[in-house]
Amino acid sequence: MIHIDRIVAGTIVVTAVKGRLDSSSSPKLEEFLAGAPHEGNILLDFAELTYISSAGLRVVLKATKLVRGAGGTLAVCGLIPQVHEVFDVSGFSTLIPIHPSREAALATMT
Amino acid sequence: MTDTELDLRLPNDLAELDALSSRIEAFMEAAGIAPTPAYRLQLAVDEFFNNAVDYGYPDGRSGEIGIEVRRVGDQLHLVFSDDGNPFDPFAAPAPDLEGTVEERRIGGLGVHLVRTLCDSFAYARENGRNVKRLTFALAG
Repeated sequence: MIHIDRIVAGTIVVTAVKGRLDSSSSPKLEEFLAGAPHEGNILLDFAELTYISSAGLRVVLKATKLVRGAGGTLAVCGLIPQVHEVFDVSGFSTLIPIHPSREAALATMT
Repeated sequence: MTDTELDLRLPNDLAELDALSSRIEAFMEAAGIAPTPAYRLQLAVDEFFNNAVDYGYPDGRSGEIGIEVRRVGDQLHLVFSDDGNPFDPFAAPAPDLEGTVEERRIGGLGVHLVRTLCDSFAYARENGRNVKRLTFALAG
């Protein structure tokens, strides 16, 4: 159960993900983000993401590699405390910029 | 307090995952478990279920996965068991969490998350089943 919205905010493409990112839903985000490198800068807005497992983290890492490989940047924002904990424990917090909110992220990224 | 125990037996089929996570979520709500320990236990079940189904039955045989969740004092107890091939996930080396995005490998990440987020973990092979016992503090 996942819902993905794509919003263009200036030079940044915001991808808002709602629901759960587990092994059954993660392929949908992976497919959605396959074209991400051509879009430059990506912000994954996870404010309404209630759950992420290693399967979801895998997709985030893969997208980060693709975007950076193409010279763009990828950041995430709006993590609930439990999702933030998973980012911390996985070591992703040191690899991927995490912003408290979409507004804060857009202000930093532009 | 009646709804403090959950005992599920499921086929080794990833199609069970959505219903399984809903069942656990409903149990956590009914038992009044705080969001953080509820999430940690949910993650453990999810990662173990995926690993068991993906790697435990390489010959494609059908199997049975058991999930027991119990609230005991100020802890949540999880017993996860499967009749897949013998495998102790906690004996595997921890994944490489250092290095740049480009260097990172992902193998073993799920188990790393689970063992880090629980309070205690143990593995045993009992009666032809892999049995993992985990505890989570309720005061997350």
